[in-house]
Formats: sequence, C-alpha cells, structure tokens
Amino acid sequence: MSNGRRTRVIRTDYLARVEGEGAMYVKLDGRTVSEVKLRIYEPPRFFEALLRGRAFTEAPDITARICGICPVAYQMSAVRAMEDACGVTIDVGPLRDLRRLLYCGEWIESHSLHVYMLHAPDFLGYPGAIEMARDHREIVEQGLQMKKAGNTVMALVGGREVHPINVRVGGFYRVPTKAQLRTLKDPLERARETALATVRWASTLPFPEVECAPELVALAEPDAYPIDLGRIVSDGGLDIAPAEFGDHIVEEQVEHSNALHARIRERGTYLTGPLARYGLSSRHLWPLARDAAREAGLQPVCRNPFRSIIVRAVELVQACDEALAIVEAYERPDAPAVEVTPRRAVGHGATEAPRGLLHHTYEIDEDGTILDARIVPPTSQNQLAIEEDLRAVVERGMDLPDHELSIRCEQAIRNHDPCISCATHFLELTVDRDAERL
Amino acid sequence: MVIGIGNSLGHDDAAGLQIARRLRASAHLAGMTVHEHEGETLGLLDIWQGADAIVLVDAVRSGAPPGTIHRFDATSAPIPARLRSSSSTHAFGVGEAVELARALGRLPQRVVLLGIEGRRFASGSGLSDEVEAMTAELLEAVLTEARRLAG
Repeated sequence: MSNGRRTRVIRTDYLARVEGEGAMYVKLDGRTVSEVKLRIYEPPRFFEALLRGRAFTEAPDITARICGICPVAYQMSAVRAMEDACGVTIDVGPLRDLRRLLYCGEWIESHSLHVYMLHAPDFLGYPGAIEMARDHREIVEQGLQMKKAGNTVMALVGGREVHPINVRVGGFYRVPTKAQLRTLKDPLERARETALATVRWASTLPFPEVECAPELVALAEPDAYPIDLGRIVSDGGLDIAPAEFGDHIVEEQVEHSNALHARIRERGTYLTGPLARYGLSSRHLWPLARDAAREAGLQPVCRNPFRSIIVRAVELVQACDEALAIVEAYERPDAPAVEVTPRRAVGHGATEAPRGLLHHTYEIDEDGTILDARIVPPTSQNQLAIEEDLRAVVERGMDLPDHELSIRCEQAIRNHDPCISCATHFLELTVDRDAERL
Repeated sequence: MVIGIGNSLGHDDAAGLQIARRLRASAHLAGMTVHEHEGETLGLLDIWQGADAIVLVDAVRSGAPPGTIHRFDATSAPIPARLRSSSSTHAFGVGEAVELARALGRLPQRVVLLGIEGRRFASGSGLSDEVEAMTAELLEAVLTEARRLAG
C-alpha cells in the first residue's frame, strides 16, 4: 500500500427478490465511495412505441401488460390520462369507488407479496421465502392468504387476477352486482385482521437506525389517503396538477442505465412510494390504520427505508379498511361506463402504484388515435434515491467483507420494492474492491 | 391439469400460453383442465390447489438450441436453475413457486415441467421460427405426459 489507497469494486450481477432483473455496481477508492450505479437496461421503450397508432381505448389493456404485479396501476393511470384528454372526469360516484376498490385489491396483492415473500427474509435472516417457509410456515401462509384476498378483489372487479380485462376508458365493461361485491366482505375482513397482525409483527423486526434524505413526492388529496387520484405534492413545496409533471420533473439519460433518471428540476433526487405517501398523508389514514401505525412506533413521517415494511403493512390495513367500506356502501351504477368521445388533445394521468407514483401522458388525434405516449414508472423515479441509499450503506459498512456488504446493498435496494420489470426489462448489481486490495 | 405459463408480449416467452390455448382449442382429454398463467407466479399455488398431478409448460433459456424440448420431473426434486423461469422478470419464477409449495406441503403429488428452449425473450409478440416449428411436437408431448399422469 505505497500510496495508502486502494480500489475496491463490489458488484452483484443478479439481484434477487426484486421485481425484475438488475445489477448493482459500487466502487470504493480508498475509503471514498467513488461510484454507485444501479444499472438498468431498458429496451427501446417498447410499450410507448407499441401504443403509437393504436386507439385511445386500447391503452389500459396494452399498458396493463407492462407489469404482472401492478397491472391495475397502469390501467388506472392510462384511463385517467385518456379521460383528461377527452374532458371527462370520474372523481366521485360508484365508478370511481369501484376503481379505488380494484386499486385496493392490487395494493393488498402487491404489498403482501413484498412484505412477506421479498422483504421479510432480510429481517429474519433467510436467503429467501422458500428457506423462510421451512421455519416460519405460518408467516408465509399469512402472506399468501392476504395476497389471495387482494387477488379475489382484482378477479371480481377487474375481471381477472392478472392483467385485468374489465377496465375501460370511462369506467368498466361490466359492473358487479351488490350481491357479488358482498362476497368480498369475508375475505377482506380476514385480510384486515391479518394486516393488523402484520403491522404488530413488522414492528418487532430489528431495524438499523438510518434515514434517507430525498424530497418525498406523492399524490395527495385534501381528505383521503392517496391511491387513485390527487395532485402531486412534496415536502419540498411541490404542489402541481398531473398535467404539470413535465414542467417540474426532468428525465435524463445516464450512461450506465437504459432507464431514464428522474429529478425534480433544480432540486434533484426525490423518492416516491410508501414512505412518501405516508410522510405526506399519514394524517389521512383512517383510525384503524393510524392507531396501528402509532402502536407500531411510527412517527407521522418515517424516513427509515428499512421501516418501509411497517409502512406497507399500515397501508395494507388502510387498503382492506377502505375496500370493505366501498363494498358495504356500494350501489350498482345504472351504466358501467360514461361515454368518452375523443378529441385532439394531450392528457395526463397520475396514480399511486404500490411502489410509487406512476405518470402517463398521451397525445391523441381527433379520432382517438394515439400519436404519442410517455410513461414514467415509479422505479425510474426512485433510482437516484436508491443509489443514495446504497452510497450510505457502503459508507457505513465499508469494513465488512464483500459478501456481507453485498447483502446489505441488496437489502437497501429491496427496501424500495423496485419493480425493475416496469422501469426496464433487465438490470444487474456489483461492489468493486480491486485486486490491489490484496 | 395442464398450466401454460408465460408472457404474451415476450416473444418466445409466450410459448407456454400458446400451447395452453391450442390445447384448449383442439385437444380433449377426459378430466383434464387447462389453465393459462401470466404474470406473478405465486398465483400458481392457488391454481393447482387440489390437483393431484400437473404439467407445467413454459419457455426456458438454458443455452440449448432454440426449439429444444426439455422434460423435468419435479415431483421429488427441485427444477434445476437452468430450466427455471424463462424471462425472470418476476421475483418469483416458476421454480420458486414449486419450491415454496413444496416447503408448505402444497405441491401436487406429481409435477412435470415441459420446457421449450426459446431464442427471443425481449418485449414483442410472435414466436421465433425454431419455437413455432416445435409447437406441434410440444403439444403432443404435453398430451402424452397428461395421459401418463392420469394413468
């Protein structure tokens, strides 16, 4: 060590337990973290290209295929954007309630998958859910049972569990009867109980005391927890309509990733997802979820990404509670959809996918042909924030052996439940400690 | 029970789904049910709940020549990594769903995977020629397997 410096590279070329494939690359120069890259390879924005030339009515079905975990989010942002373009608003009434119910189903399905199958093994010290299932069968069964409740909601309201086919611009193709919807009551009540138990269980997990700094960005409504509607707000003063997204958020191409990196113009890194939603709207949680959060020791704002497992569990309670309220109050609408007549326009739609803000923009022709499409998924918005977390993890843990540091890095990535299959279709991960080290 | 697995917009990754569709349209075996499964694979546990024997049909990417048909009996051994979920765009592949079910005691008594080696897995539709050329044979292999498991 003549110069007292050495280079270390830590890399993981396959990221387990994230939705998609990815890679991480971290370079240490002496004791300085010189590079952190979450590498994402994106195909030539296939879906945006696929949408051009198609009818505006096809957007929900086409975009639903971008992700097997959050198809409803894609459908909902798509229909909102198309309705915005056509001058139609569905913000109240049974059609909106059904949409929110469907979206609650997806939150339940996606969050229970992440909390139990992907995130829990990190805290309980297992390489994955399969190994964990051998020792903690009841935990895995709980997760599967709750996930199934979400899938049941999606199958009934959405027509199918995966890639629901019942959603259309203007509403639905068919709406359920009151009696059909009431069949959801029992599974949702059981899921709500399980969700409450999940919050209590998650609060007992061991958490490192860390905080992330980025600006928190999420939808917000004046008197509701954000899911399917709202303005885009932040704790840094952002308060914009979905149509203004492009004026404030810039997407940049960076060399190491094919996905675009999103930044707030002039302020930089931001974070979307459960921590952002909770931090900006925890006061709008219903009493059951709010009390559960408090008993679990959560403050009104939580910036510890590891604790996102508790926040997701709290959101599970909220989603079950809201879904039950919708089921109980439901009156079948006279028509399954409102008429939507295309016009030449640009429309914007933003909703809260389980892993964060999902923004769609479409330009359509007077006959409804899609001229242009732009989709900004939550994971590409969170990419810089995840890289900042990785940097912090490496700075704290640089004396750890490579393997252990690599595991810490993977955990830091999984805290944000990145859906790499949404942002991209291939990603890899690396910690680099050069040969010079030895 | 036959379950075709895949991604309809992943070129050859759609092979399992297409086999399930063709099976439903053309072939009939008494007592055989056919499912298509797209997306998140843990849903498979609910699909095969209560079934005694299942044939899983999926595209794989093991390095063999495109169109190669692989058969693996997963009744008592894990599906080897090379034959696991073709596209891996999901946290849980088919192999992981099988192993999770095994750990939970929720795996049917007989489980056979029939995989077809794909060439193209990027976003897009349409099977590559090598895969398309082997679909009739794969269909026949699925029927043979289903008959065997039923017997």
